[in-house]
Formats: sequence, C-alpha cells, structure tokens
Amino acid sequence: MADVEMKPVDEKKEEKKEEKPAEEKKSAPLTPVAEIKGNVALIERAVSTLEPRFTHRVLRSLTHLRKKLNDKVLQDAVHEVYRIDSPSKKALLVWLPDTSADHSMDIDPATAPSKQTPSEPLPEVEIYFRLLILHHLLTSPANYPKATRLAHETVEKIQALNRRSMDPIAAKVWYAVERAYELGGELADARPLFLAAQRTAALRHDDETEASLINRILRSYLQYSLYDQADKLVSKTSFPAAAGNPQHARYHYYLGRIKAVQLNYTAAHTNLQQAIRRAPPAKTAPGFYQAVHKLSIVVELLMGDIPERSLFRHPVLEEALAGYFEIVKAVRNGSLSQFQSTLSRYAAQFETDKTYTLIVRLRQNVIKTGIRRLSLSYSRISLRDICVKLHLDSEEDAEYIVGKAIRDGVIEGRIVHEKGWMECGGQKSGYGPEVSDVFSRRIAYCLELHNQSVKAMRYPLNAHRKELAAAEGAREREKELAKEIQEGGDLDDEGPDLGEGF
Amino acid sequence: MAPPQLVQGYKELQKVFISGNLQQTGVLLTKLKIGLTEAGLFVPYGNPDPQDLVLARDVLEVGAFWSIRTKDIPSFDRYFSQLQTFYNDYSSILPPSPREYPLRGLNLIRLLTQNRIADFHTTLESLPLPADSLTANPYIAHPINLEQWLMEGSYSKVWNAREEAPTEEYKFFVDSLMGTIRNEIAGCEEAAYDSLPLKDAATLLFFKSQNELLTFAQQRGWQVDLTAGKITFAKKTEEKVEIPKERLISANLQYARELEQIV
Repeated sequence: MADVEMKPVDEKKEEKKEEKPAEEKKSAPLTPVAEIKGNVALIERAVSTLEPRFTHRVLRSLTHLRKKLNDKVLQDAVHEVYRIDSPSKKALLVWLPDTSADHSMDIDPATAPSKQTPSEPLPEVEIYFRLLILHHLLTSPANYPKATRLAHETVEKIQALNRRSMDPIAAKVWYAVERAYELGGELADARPLFLAAQRTAALRHDDETEASLINRILRSYLQYSLYDQADKLVSKTSFPAAAGNPQHARYHYYLGRIKAVQLNYTAAHTNLQQAIRRAPPAKTAPGFYQAVHKLSIVVELLMGDIPERSLFRHPVLEEALAGYFEIVKAVRNGSLSQFQSTLSRYAAQFETDKTYTLIVRLRQNVIKTGIRRLSLSYSRISLRDICVKLHLDSEEDAEYIVGKAIRDGVIEGRIVHEKGWMECGGQKSGYGPEVSDVFSRRIAYCLELHNQSVKAMRYPLNAHRKELAAAEGAREREKELAKEIQEGGDLDDEGPDLGEGF
Repeated sequence: MAPPQLVQGYKELQKVFISGNLQQTGVLLTKLKIGLTEAGLFVPYGNPDPQDLVLARDVLEVGAFWSIRTKDIPSFDRYFSQLQTFYNDYSSILPPSPREYPLRGLNLIRLLTQNRIADFHTTLESLPLPADSLTANPYIAHPINLEQWLMEGSYSKVWNAREEAPTEEYKFFVDSLMGTIRNEIAGCEEAAYDSLPLKDAATLLFFKSQNELLTFAQQRGWQVDLTAGKITFAKKTEEKVEIPKERLISANLQYARELEQIV
C-alpha cells in the first residue's frame, strides 16, 4: 500500500526537478529586472502562440522572484518594458514611490537604443506587473490599504478586459486580493466580491480563476468556522477538473476539513489523501504538507487506523507532528490517562491547528482500542478488571461500554451478567468476500491512476506526423525484411502481420 | 426608532414571561412578531439602530424559551435559526446577550436528542469560542459531556447528569434524551447478552417498575420468561455468506478490458 501511495508524489518530484534546473540555469545569473523582462517576453509568446504553458512557467517563478522585489527593481522593470509614455505606464508608476524617479530616468535612455520596440506591451503584461507590485506592497504592513486599493483596481481591469489568455495571471491576482484583505484583517468583507467573481468566472468557463476563487471562498468560510455555508458551497458548485494541481490540492484539503467535522471520516480520508498526492513536494511547500498531514493523522485515528510510524520520521514533518505522535501512542496503547495528559499538554498547539475538537472525539477510540486489546489477550475477564485496566469510573460504566463495543462490532463476545464477566468469542477468519472488495478497490485505483496519467501526458502539436513518417519507414523496412524471408524460402504467414503491430 | 407600541408590547411580554403565564406569552409573541415585521426588524436588513436590534433579539429569545416550555421543538428551531443572524452577523455591533449561550447549548442538546450527531459537531465547531475553553462554559460543557458519554457508552453518567442541568429548560429535553438512551442500551443488550434477569434488565434500562419494563420488552419483541424471571434475546442466526459470483465475474471482465487497453 505504502509503495503505491508514495509513487505519485515521487513522480511529481522528479518532474519538478527536471524543470527546475532548466529554469535555474537561465535565471540564476540574471538580475531581477532581467528576469522580469524575460518573463514579459514569455507572456508575450504565450499570448501570440495561444499556449498557456509559457504563462504557467512565468507564474511558477513568482515565489522566488517575490523575495527579490523592491521599489527600485519594479520601477526599472516598468521603465524598461514600457519604453514610451502611456496611460498604463503611468497607472503602474502611481503605485510605486517616486523617490528614485530621476534615477531610473538615467537608465532609461542608456538601454533604450539597444532594442527599438516602441509598441505598447500587451495588457497581460500590465496585469503581471500589477501582480508583482501587489506582492511587493504586501510585504510591509504600512502598505496594506494601498494594496487593497490596487487589488480592486486590478480586478476591475481584468474583468473589463475579459481575455482568456489572461486567466492564469488573473487566478494569481485573486490570491493576492485575498492576502490583501486577510492581512488587513477584513477577510469576511471580501466574500461578496469573491462570490460575484466566481459566478462570472464560471459563466466564462475561466477554469483557473474559478478554481482559485472557490478555494478563496472556502478558505474564508473555514477561517470563520462557517462549516454549514462551506458545505453548501461545495454541494452547489463543481470544481473545474481542468484546474491546476495546487488548486486541486487546496480544494481537497478544505473538503477533507469539512467532511471530518461532519463525521464523514472515510470521505475526509480520501480527500486528504488526494490533497497529499497533489501537493507540491514537501520541501517546496512545507506548511501545506504539514497541515494536511496533521489533519490526515487525526482522521486516520478517528477511523480506527494507526498511521505509519515512518511518517513521523519525515524530516519536514518530524518536529511539527511531535504532539500528534504522542496522541497516536496514547491511542495505540488504549490508555485514557496518557491520552488526557497529552491532550492537555499540547492543547494550545492543537487549538492553533484547529484540530482540538477532532482530537477530543478520539476519546472513545482510545477506549475501544483498550477493549479490543483486552478481548484479544483474555478469553474471559471480569468487568471489575476491565474497569481497573481502562481507568473507567465504575463497573456499571464498564458493562455499558463493553455492551456498546460488542454491538458496534469492535469485539466479538458476550457479557454474562450473573457472573459479572465478559467472554470473548473467537476471532472471525479474515477471509471472505470483503477481501475481494478491498482487492478490487485497489485494482480500480491503480487502473484509474494509469488512465489519468495517460490523459495527463502532453502531446506536442504536429509531432505525430514525424512519428507517422518514422512508423511508415519502419513498416517499409519490415516489408522488405518479410520479402527477403519469403524469398529465402522460410515461409511464415505471420510475417506481414507482425509489421502491422509496429 | 421602534414604534412606541412595540416597546410597550415588549415590556408587557417581559412581565408576562417572568410570571410564567405560557398562554398569554404565546399571544403576545404573535402580536410582537407582526409588529417587528412591520418595523423591518423581524428579519433585519440594512443598518438598523442597535437598540432596536436588541429589542428584536430579546423578543426572539423569549420566543425560543417559550417554545421549549410549551415543548414545541419545531418552533424552537425556527426561533433559533432567526437568532443566528443576531448572534453571528451582528455580533460586532450588539452587546452580547446573557441568554446567548444557554440557547446555543439548548440547540446542541436538541440536535443530540434527535441523534443528529454530524450536525451537532458542525454546530459545535462553528461556536465563536476557542476550542479548549468550551468546557469552561457551563451551558456548552453540558451537551459536550453528554455527547461524549453517549458515544463511549457511559449511559449511567448520562442518567446521573440529567439533574445537573445548568438551566430549567434543559430538563425539558431529558425525557426524549432518556428515550434515545434506552433504545441505545436495548440495542447493546440484544447484541451482548444471551439472557438477562428481569431485575437487572430494569436497572440497566433505568426502569423503576417491572410493568414499564414489560411494555418496553414487548415493543422490542423480547421473549420474557416470567416464571424464571428472565429475558432471552433472540439469537441472530449466522446467515450463510454467499459468494457474489456475478459481481466477481463482471469485475474480472472489467479488468480484462482495461488490460487490453493498456497492452
């Protein structure tokens, strides 16, 4: 099982790694300004060739580019890209402090003669710049109100332009809008804005933006613990299947949260597994990776499973999961006192992780595990002893609890009331139709994975022509070979058929 | 500003409610609700005056308590969902109500008695309190404890806690809660015992007299042997498990098809 589950993540890691060096080779020696310029060129290429792939590449570099931004870099970049004065250039510069204005004027003429392209850059480029400025403004608290204003203006602009080639950038802009509101401490106020935009995006089949917005809204609901509304939103919308992996990962994480609160642990577990598989590699996004794992461990415990130990040794997770590790140990031992002391010790951490109420629900699982352990090791045990071993308050309680455990199918056994003991029945043999069920579920999963990966492969345009030609050539050679064999006298009817297969 | 007759009616309602005249309270509530609707406060919109909102909230709170005293649960449900607006959306401009948490607690117990555990947890999760201080609030701690005991099976603790209700209204739910518990216990007994003496069955199910037990046993279809003083539970015979041939065949065909596609 572990092998199968880990694979998708590994694959993704490799994929990312392959892309990374290529990108870094190009960008490492570049100054931020040059990098922005390179990105602008990529965006222009994306728009002219209608290939959103290039835009995605630009946006992938956003995370590390963000750290290198400052007023000067942005200003220089704007001046370099916008060679002639235009309304959009002015609109962009308004958001940057004027202190170094004359300084950048020096650079402008110096670089201008090198390349003469006095055409106005595309609107996508302008939005990209706005995105960069937004991210830059969000780095200092003094600029939050300014960032919110810019965010509003940008969003209006995007909606007025309504260009499909802008969608991937727009999706990122919405993220920045959310950040602006959240850092300003008024996340709830942004909800109507998001809801309206989500409607528009859905109508325009703007998958990227819609996915991003659904996640924004869900996040804002969950932030305020409005699980009812979040659940309704999920049931009323359909998450666009074409959305990118990170958006899917987030969406599944939020779904997992909602389902866990509603006691639907199996569904929650499935969603969280999806979130883990689709998440970016642990080193790139440790925060998300840790958050998902925290929740997924609690849900697994609630389902009656014990998470694997190797998980707690993962370099990224080890420290973050310390409290959860203790909880898992307590549940595994079926010791209520250990569970309670761990819970009170790590209460603050669980509270900030928003898993406290879920962990409190584990109490009954601790008791159930305890009873199961007893039923495995004794063929007959008195209620009094159960009471002592599990730290229960009274024999009366023990009788009810054991009765409930039998009814819920946790253990096989009977209570003999007159004698005051519990008789444990033999274990059911573990082989039946349910085994084939589990087996078929796994097979279905593997097949699904295969089909999905086939679908996810990218086929370059017109490349099949080349392959066809190659295949044609191969067939030709095959025929010749077959002819030679035939002429050679060794007659084989299947010869030509074999060629068909190539 | 609220019309004077509304304020007048509100004062009257307070007096009547405290005196405990349920019928009169009902009549007044209906009148006030019409009054509130006319003043645009029943389902508030826009930016009404906070003072008027407090008045509307108080009327609705009285209505919720009144519904429980008259044992009208659907009516309580309606009042409470209207109060949610005041508790959640206007929480920043209104002073907190002393009756907010008793009502929230009552709502939790209501969900518990109706066995809506998922809703119970969702509601609990959306309370505007930090999670580890939930147990410090007596009104909320009560339903939380009840739920925990119900889930782990400590039914005797639930039975003992019925007298420790933080306010009078909580006791109105005790009866239906006891019904839920008895059914739970009966279910457990059917699974866990072969036979049970009548006397012990009565204590386990919290029945005071044997007659109550006998009618209950009849409802659940238990065999009561009066001479031996025993209840025998019908043993479920082990049903023979059939091998689901058709399903297996269709699954195998499906695999064959998929494999063909791959190869």
